[in-house]
Amino acid sequence: MDDFERDLSRLMRDTQQHTPYEPEHRQRLHADIRTRRRSRLLWKAGGSAVAVAGLSVGLALLPNMLTRAQPADQDRRPPPATSPTPSYEDEPTTNAPDPSPSSTQPASSAPATATATGGDTPTGATGTSFRPTPTTTVPEPPATSEFPTPPPSPSPTTALPSRLETEEPSSSAGTE
Amino acid sequence: MEQVRADGFDEFVAARWSALLHVARLLTGGDRQRAEDLVQEALVKLWFAWPKVAEQAPEAYVRTVLVRMAARSARRRWWGERPVEQLPDRADPDDVSSTVAERRRLEAALALLSPKQRVAVVLRYYEDLPEAQVAQALGCPVGTARSHASRGVARLRQILSDAVRPVG
Repeated sequence: MDDFERDLSRLMRDTQQHTPYEPEHRQRLHADIRTRRRSRLLWKAGGSAVAVAGLSVGLALLPNMLTRAQPADQDRRPPPATSPTPSYEDEPTTNAPDPSPSSTQPASSAPATATATGGDTPTGATGTSFRPTPTTTVPEPPATSEFPTPPPSPSPTTALPSRLETEEPSSSAGTE
Repeated sequence: MEQVRADGFDEFVAARWSALLHVARLLTGGDRQRAEDLVQEALVKLWFAWPKVAEQAPEAYVRTVLVRMAARSARRRWWGERPVEQLPDRADPDDVSSTVAERRRLEAALALLSPKQRVAVVLRYYEDLPEAQVAQALGCPVGTARSHASRGVARLRQILSDAVRPVG
């Protein structure tokens, strides 16, 4: 530190003017403190209000997001999930055109073969073998109604038997 | 609790008001009105930090706030001046006492420095702070703070060379 720096340092200290802390200063200072405190409180209140609003909007939107997500999941699921159900739906359709419950497993093939071959040998072969089972499920028509009964009977009662038959056909188809 | 806080705060402010105002005047290059505003703002900030700072070093806290605000406010174009009913008392132009004359010359010279040079010079030569603390207050590396101080002193030497010698 050279002479000039020493003089500069002393000059800065010597020129200090005593300024008393007057009541006016105190009042002004405390007024500023009150103003700042109020503004801080307002900022805090505003911030918390914004936070609450954001949370409520988020919570309100969340269920919508979930409901939108669910159909997407269902859309993804159907391929594996509907694979068994279409079989149930296909059963009545296959049963309906079939005159006899025996033709459920080769539903598509039975009529085709019947039309092709005249319907005697295939229906006679398969129909005789499977006719006893529907007659057991439908007790009303004893023996004479063998041919007319099959159409009405399969609709309500053959649901279960048809399932069983659909399971069976796989084996019968395997035998074929 | 609040009263105890206010009492301690008021005692501190009453004891250090004059010194803080002088530092602020040096930092602002002699602008008394700006100096009072700076001290006021720094003390308001000190009030909210008082429970944490009171037992440690409140003056260092205020000084740091003051220095940062002075460096920042120097870049502002508008100082937040408000109209008042009574004009603040200014130094009497006929007052020719040596102290007042020297102070005016010093403040005028300080006003010609850049804000960072002024802060560095004031902290280094009035507060006697080491370079590391000056750098910390300025928020810059020590080498930069040293550079600010040396350039500021060189500039003051140029301006005050004629004024300081007679005083010494």
